[in-house]
Amino acid sequence: MVSHVEKTFPKEGCGLMIGSDGLVQEAVPLPNTYTGPQEDFFVIDPQDLHRVDRESRDRGLDVLGVFHSHPNCDAYFSKRDLQHSCPWFSYVVLSIKNGRFDHANSYRPDFDQTEAPKEELTYG
Amino acid sequence: MAKILIPTPLRQYADKQDSVQLAGSTVGEVLKSLTGQYSELRRHLYNDEGKLRSFVNVYVNDEDIRYLNKEATPVTDGDTVSIVPSIAGGSAGVQSPPAPPLTLSKDEILRYSRHLIMPEVGMEGQLKLKGAKVALIGTGGLGAPLGMYLAAAGIGRIGLVDFDVVDFTNLQRQVIHGTKDVGKKKLDSAAETMLDINPYVEIDRHETALTSENALDILKDYDIVVDGTDNFPTRYLVNDACVLLGKPNVYGSIFRFEGQATIFAYPGGPCYRCLYSEPPPPGLVPSCAEGGVLGILPGTIGLIQATETVKLILGIGEPLIGRLVLYDALAMRFRELKLRRNPECPVCGDHPTITKLIDYQEFCGIPNQPHQEAPMEGDIDPVEVKTKIDHGDRFVLIDVREPHEYQICNIPQAKLIPLGDLPKRVNELNSADEIIAHCKSGMRSAKAVEFLKQAGFKKVRNMKGGILAWSDKVDPSLPKY
Repeated sequence: MVSHVEKTFPKEGCGLMIGSDGLVQEAVPLPNTYTGPQEDFFVIDPQDLHRVDRESRDRGLDVLGVFHSHPNCDAYFSKRDLQHSCPWFSYVVLSIKNGRFDHANSYRPDFDQTEAPKEELTYG
Repeated sequence: MAKILIPTPLRQYADKQDSVQLAGSTVGEVLKSLTGQYSELRRHLYNDEGKLRSFVNVYVNDEDIRYLNKEATPVTDGDTVSIVPSIAGGSAGVQSPPAPPLTLSKDEILRYSRHLIMPEVGMEGQLKLKGAKVALIGTGGLGAPLGMYLAAAGIGRIGLVDFDVVDFTNLQRQVIHGTKDVGKKKLDSAAETMLDINPYVEIDRHETALTSENALDILKDYDIVVDGTDNFPTRYLVNDACVLLGKPNVYGSIFRFEGQATIFAYPGGPCYRCLYSEPPPPGLVPSCAEGGVLGILPGTIGLIQATETVKLILGIGEPLIGRLVLYDALAMRFRELKLRRNPECPVCGDHPTITKLIDYQEFCGIPNQPHQEAPMEGDIDPVEVKTKIDHGDRFVLIDVREPHEYQICNIPQAKLIPLGDLPKRVNELNSADEIIAHCKSGMRSAKAVEFLKQAGFKKVRNMKGGILAWSDKVDPSLPKY
C-alpha cells in the first residue's frame, strides 16, 4: 500500500484491500481513473472493482476495504471522502508527506454519508 | 429471470451466498425480488425515498445501467446483474479554513451605492458578487468590456487566461488596452486597467493558452466561466471543460457586424455541442483577423455576457439559458432562437461518449504541427519575386485580395483579380505565362494557385506570406493591416 501511494505522489493513489475475517492479507493497487486533477481526488473504476471482487472471490477471499492517499495532507476523512463513500467498506487513508509515508487511519462511513467513525488499526 | 452477484460485504445479509437466481424482467424487478427475499439488503441499496443509493452502481453483464435504460433495463435468462459500489474520494474539502464572512468596507459601500440602493442587488447581492469567482478566457475583443465591467461591478475574484501581447490592430476594439500598452502582455495590461477601475478586485493571471491538459485545473477554482475566445478548438475545449466541471459557460461570438450570446452548460440546459455538434471545416468560417469586425461589436456582445454573468451570480431575472441571442448591428436588430439540450449530445447528453477532454486541434481538423516551415511546393519568397521584377523577368503577378484591400496597400506590378472572380476571369490569364499569386498572408493565394493548377496552368506559384511578408522583407513603407 505504502509503496504504491509513495509512487503516485504527489497524486492520490488508491486500491483495494482483500483478505478474510477482517484481516487484510493483500493490497491491490489500482489506477486512479479520475480525469481531473488527481492531487486531491481519486476514483476507482467500477470495472476494476468488479474484476478484483470476482478474482478474490475465486480465491476464497473478500474485498474488505479501500485505501487511498492524501498527499501532503493528514489522514483525515474529508468531506469529499464522505460524499463519495460506501458504508460496505473500511477506508484506510494514508498521509504521504513530501513523498514519504507519514501516518494512516481507518474509517467506516455510515449509510447516509454523514459520518465516518474512526476504526482501530492493528498491525499483525 | 437473471443471476445477481452479491458483493462481498453484503453476502452476510443474503445467507452468505455470492449469487442468487431471481425472477424479474427488468433490473428494477430483479432488485425488488432480491430485497423482497433478503429484506436486510433494502437499506443497503435504497435510501428512504426508495431510490438507489448514490454509491450503488448496477451492471447488466458489462454495461452500467445508467447508460442503458436505468432500472427499466430489461434482463433475460442468462444475464448477470452485478452490484458494484462506486469508490472515490480525496483530500480536498476539509483542510481549507472556512472563509471569513464577507463584509463591505465603508469605501466599498460608497463605491457600490448605486447597486446597494436597488433591492434586486442590495447588500446581499453585492456580497454575492464579492464572493464570486469568475474565469475570463481571453482579454481581447469580448474580454475587454467583460473585464472592465465585471471588475467595476465588484466581482471578488477574476481569473484571466491569455498569453498574447497587445498590438496596434487590437486597439480598434480591445478598449481595456491603450496605445501605451502595445507590446505589453495582455494579461498585465488588462489587470492594470481593471485594478485601476476597482482595486478591491482580486485578479489571477493565467499566462497560458487554455489546453486539454490545463483547462480543468485552471477552471475548477471558479464558479462561472466566460468565453471570450475567437477560435473553434478553444470554444469546444471551454464547453467540454464546463460540462465536465458542471460550471456555466457564458458564451459570446462575433463576426463582422453580427454576434451571438447565450449561456451553455448550465445544468439541464444545452451546451455548445448541442448547438454545433461538429466544427466547421477548417478555413470555412473566417476569423476576425481574416474577415474583419466592427470594433464596437464585441462591446455589445461582451456586455450581454457580462450582464448574464452578474445575473447568474445574483440569481435574478431570466437567465439566457436555452436561448441564443442573435444581434445584427447593421439592421440594429436582436433575434432569439430557442435551444434545447440534446439528449444524444456526446458530452452533456444522457449517454455521454466524451467523458474527458480530447485533442481539440485534431477535432477541428487543424494539424498539430503546422508544417509552415517546410516550404510548400510552388511557394516563392517575396524577396525572390522582387529580384525577378528588378531583373525584368517575364511573369504575371496577380493579387487575389478584395478591391478595398487593394486600396489599403498594393504592389504596383500586380494585377487585381479577387479570388471569388478568378473562375470567370481566368481567360484573362495565359497558361503559357509564369504566374505568381499573392494575397494578404498567403492563404487565399494558395487557394488561387490550387484553382489555376486544376484549370490546367502549370507554371503558377504562391508568394509566401503575402503582402504582409512583402512589407516585412521588401518594402517596409507599405502599411500593414
